[in-house]
Amino acid sequence: MTNSINEIENAEVILVTGSNTTEAHPQVARRMFDAVDRGAKLIVIDPRRTPLAAMAHLHLPLHPGTDIPLLNGMMRIILDENLIDDLFIEMRTENYHALRDLLFRLDLDEVVRITGVPLDTISQAARLYARTQKAVICYCLGITQHICGTENVQTLANLAMMTGHVEKEDTGVDPLRGQNNVQGACDMGSLPNVFPSYQPVSNEDYREKFEKAWQTSLSGTPGLTLLDMTHGGADGAIRGLFIMGENPMLSDPVLSKVKETLTGLDFLVVVDLFMTDTAKLAHVVLPAASFAEKTGTFTNSERRVQMVRRAIPPIPGCKTDLEIIMNLSRRMGYPMEYDSPAEVMEEIALLTPIYGGMHHDRLENSWGLQWPCWDRQHPGTPFLHKYFFTRGRGHFVPASHQSPSEPMDATYPFQLMTGRIYHQYHTGTMSRKGTLLNRENGEALLQIHPDDAGRDNIRHGEMIILASRRGEIRVKAEVSDQVAPGTLYTTFHFSEAPINLLTTGARDPKANCPEYKICAARVEKIRQGP
Amino acid sequence: MERFNLLKKDHLIGFLRKLAKEYRIIAPVKNRHGDTLFTPVTDLDNDEIDLTNQPQNSIKSFLFPQTEVIATYQSSTPDDYTFTEPEPSFPPTIFFGVRPCDLSAILYMDVIFLKGKKDPFFLDKRRNSLLIGLNCTAPFANCFCNATNSGPFLEFGFDLQFTDLGDRFMVETGRSSGERLIEDRPQFFTPSTEKDSQARYQSFLEARGGFHRPVHLDQTLKKLAKGEVDESVWSFLSERCQDCGGCAYVCPTCTCFTISDQPLSPTNGERLRSWDACTFSGFTRMAGGHNPVHRATGAIRQRFLHKLLYDVKQHGRTSCVGCGRCVGICFGGTDIVRFINMSCQGELYGT
Repeated sequence: MTNSINEIENAEVILVTGSNTTEAHPQVARRMFDAVDRGAKLIVIDPRRTPLAAMAHLHLPLHPGTDIPLLNGMMRIILDENLIDDLFIEMRTENYHALRDLLFRLDLDEVVRITGVPLDTISQAARLYARTQKAVICYCLGITQHICGTENVQTLANLAMMTGHVEKEDTGVDPLRGQNNVQGACDMGSLPNVFPSYQPVSNEDYREKFEKAWQTSLSGTPGLTLLDMTHGGADGAIRGLFIMGENPMLSDPVLSKVKETLTGLDFLVVVDLFMTDTAKLAHVVLPAASFAEKTGTFTNSERRVQMVRRAIPPIPGCKTDLEIIMNLSRRMGYPMEYDSPAEVMEEIALLTPIYGGMHHDRLENSWGLQWPCWDRQHPGTPFLHKYFFTRGRGHFVPASHQSPSEPMDATYPFQLMTGRIYHQYHTGTMSRKGTLLNRENGEALLQIHPDDAGRDNIRHGEMIILASRRGEIRVKAEVSDQVAPGTLYTTFHFSEAPINLLTTGARDPKANCPEYKICAARVEKIRQGP
Repeated sequence: MERFNLLKKDHLIGFLRKLAKEYRIIAPVKNRHGDTLFTPVTDLDNDEIDLTNQPQNSIKSFLFPQTEVIATYQSSTPDDYTFTEPEPSFPPTIFFGVRPCDLSAILYMDVIFLKGKKDPFFLDKRRNSLLIGLNCTAPFANCFCNATNSGPFLEFGFDLQFTDLGDRFMVETGRSSGERLIEDRPQFFTPSTEKDSQARYQSFLEARGGFHRPVHLDQTLKKLAKGEVDESVWSFLSERCQDCGGCAYVCPTCTCFTISDQPLSPTNGERLRSWDACTFSGFTRMAGGHNPVHRATGAIRQRFLHKLLYDVKQHGRTSCVGCGRCVGICFGGTDIVRFINMSCQGELYGT
């Protein structure tokens, strides 16, 4: 996020796109409510009528996967009505003319046809957003999990830069990150191409720095991305995998391919709290300690690094991730001896410039520090891009509509979207152990519009077959007008209805993020009898 | 004139030390992270007993635990179950420093669990508990027990009750069980004088004038009784309710529970009862999936109606005791004070 979460409260216009914020980020949604109660206008762009969309001043129910034409349409209207921020464009950005050329060629009637959103609604949204002083864009996986995910984000950036809605307090572009520490994992270099603090492995200076610190030689070749590993096939290049706290047998697309790959490995180790679907395939399972049993830090969406303290000792037989790694590395001939998590944090501060001033003693009695925090005296950074962008000038990257990877046809006439619900967390490894959570939401439900359900005589609560070009599963129907006719929606939390058997393996070529949000599907009643 | 006892603050720990020989002491203790919680006191010399901050938990969780084993079972075949009730294991306990709101809440729980057919699990714990109250001389930011008639001072329900008079506590006796605590340890106490009673009254007046929030509960109660709370109030709050259940979990009077079986192996397991909350959709959802409560318009309706209407009808008083914990914990901004203020706004400011 370029802003802090609290700044959302002070925004005057909040544009939420591709985020079911009330269910996925309740602490962010709460700030949106507060802002609305203070008079802010809420615009929600979402194919579904989510709870947040229901209370929005403007809901733009676009067809799935048509974010770019919709946002381009808004920008065209902003351009036509002279609502652009000339000064900001001039002083802080580059390549604006390329975007303007694209917008001049844009046919608004076609935008309406592609997106399904009336022109009047698009205009209202454009004016609301552009005319305000403090406008925040919040987006989530509904933007990124498309083959054009990168372009979607760039188009949001275009919109924000064109109207000068960045580099100010209470104003910016805020991706809402999902898991408690996904930001921290990325910051620490759990990505194929960078060391901690996003220092590329291909850069010789960085490589030397880490070789000196770790006293070993390091490869300058980026590693493989997730799907390169889990979709490698039985004879893939990867022969052994060490998986920590991840359950690709439920969370990755095209599960049949994942299974083929994992069962074809020479050696698979899984470190997890419980026996997950992935752990069941492992040669060795190492039981790990939970968040309550270890000390360390989590980094949240707003780049805030916060201490987590051990509340109970690890359950007998379980070890913390740090102990597991140290034990393994010792046996593999590379002793890593850390006396405490604080010692690891010292190394992080030493090698990770954006965490330079973060030490446990500073984090201990505070609500955490937001990176970049360069040294011990630095107070942390609530919002990014003040006075200048990280790269210098903001670069406009115009983009045009890209159809979703999988076309619908007579056999697969529906667009299937996948997402999350409030009561379950990711693949349910932990949350499905809770009785109350399971009672609240213990099974996968497929949202289907009443018109579509009526045509096939599908009743609310009926078990039906949901199929795509890759397979079929059984799932319970939830007849609901939250979804538009022709679209379906369900979640991926439940191994009884593993939706990722159906999703497509197509991905954004730049970010390698799979297109979880759209694939072509059909529904079918279960035939009774012999 | 009624006479009370005085206990010098210097001797409080000494008094508790004597009590600790016979009882487990549970008191507000400030932990090393600066949070004050009702905690069993294990080390009177080093545990920091904190009588100036409001404990974040009430004592509900000791008498009615968040999760409690109510039976264990053995099963050799799928049709054959043998259930065993657990042995009572609640030691004689003194709850020390219980403020009027929390003490009133226990009196309410007595009504729920012990009127008519008695709940054996609660009864066992309650029978082994003594309550030493602490009158509130400085209400906290979210408190409104003045509006719910459950504070800042309490007249009954305690075994003993302390009032802070600066260098000493005035100690009232509420029950014979409390009186015995004093009679058996008379060396700690001196009789109070008229001056002490005056000081106590002055302290009461100051506490009564020290509330930070104007909460006109009487207006809301009248409107609820007449069915005059506007529908828009319910839907405004319900659509903002984040469904976290935090209000019910910190509430000292929320007593709804659910029962589930937890297998420990293929042949044995535990039957648990755990806290539930009426704001959860599973609380009212029926087997076929139908839910008579529509979340967006009624998620919090049952909660406020129960506390402020049904209990008034059934037991003659609200079951909200004004401790303000839900106000502090609610992150959707749908707490009971907001409801009270919204529901009587029309009356106060005209519509």
